[in-house]
Amino acid sequence: MLHLDRAYNITHDPTALGHQMSDNIFQTSDLATRRVEFMDAARGGRARVRDKDGTSYVMLPEGRLDLLEELAQWSQALLRLEALLRRGRPKVTELGDLAWLRCFDEADLREFVDDLHVALVAANADGDKRVLDSCLNDWRTTARQLADPLRRSVLLGSHNPDDFEEASEPADGDD
Amino acid sequence: MATTSAYDPLAPARRPGGRPDGKPKYRVLVHKRFRNHYDQLVAMVGLQQAQQFWDHVSASPGAPCPVASTRPLKGKAGKPNGPGWSRTVHYEVTGSARIDYQFNDNYSTSADGDRHPVVAILTINFSSH
Repeated sequence: MLHLDRAYNITHDPTALGHQMSDNIFQTSDLATRRVEFMDAARGGRARVRDKDGTSYVMLPEGRLDLLEELAQWSQALLRLEALLRRGRPKVTELGDLAWLRCFDEADLREFVDDLHVALVAANADGDKRVLDSCLNDWRTTARQLADPLRRSVLLGSHNPDDFEEASEPADGDD
Repeated sequence: MATTSAYDPLAPARRPGGRPDGKPKYRVLVHKRFRNHYDQLVAMVGLQQAQQFWDHVSASPGAPCPVASTRPLKGKAGKPNGPGWSRTVHYEVTGSARIDYQFNDNYSTSADGDRHPVVAILTINFSSH
């Protein structure tokens, strides 16, 4: 027997993350007898099942769970970095797992915070973390390029024509 | 004190491996501190990959590359190094060879000099990330 519970009310944007919240709550006994409906609900965004002790569980696509976890992780990082920047440029020890940002000065860190904020909003709206991944990859790549003192001095310097010469043809053994 | 640059704005840029398919739109310059890296490019990544990089930057350095990953550098490292220069583009030749460059569509070495489009290779990195 399928038990339906319509007690759930959507109090937030129902289109957030691109999925409609299911208002069906299955009972554990439904998992054997109504598995098709249960899986349809899961494919549609989430399937809720209530255990005998009243605990509610949710089954949802793994990609959506990944997105939610990533949004939570980076939202927390954003809040922490914003709090640190209110006191000026953070020390490496204060950055913790964000220590890869240590090569950036305070202005760059504030730009990172702005970029991350925009990326989080966009990823949430899109229901897709690619825009967040792209933002983080761009900044991580920049950090790695700046880690080398020579690359850093050139990337952060001003253009001087005398520093450049025609790119010569590398020997390939055929010419 | 006047300094002498090895860069000759009238000298044609050359493609790695030679035998260019057509006249390149952009001249290609390399920062002197990374000249040795550039000379090792074919040995490090192979002729085909080096030519793909060359073909891309000499024709359309501001466009996405169909055969390689490009991304903008962020923060001050991504900002133009002077008037007329683009933001910094990070080109991944292979997983262990990356090149940062900027381009300028109206480059001149002097106020009354010939204006022409150039690509300036800023850094070359052979270490994998």
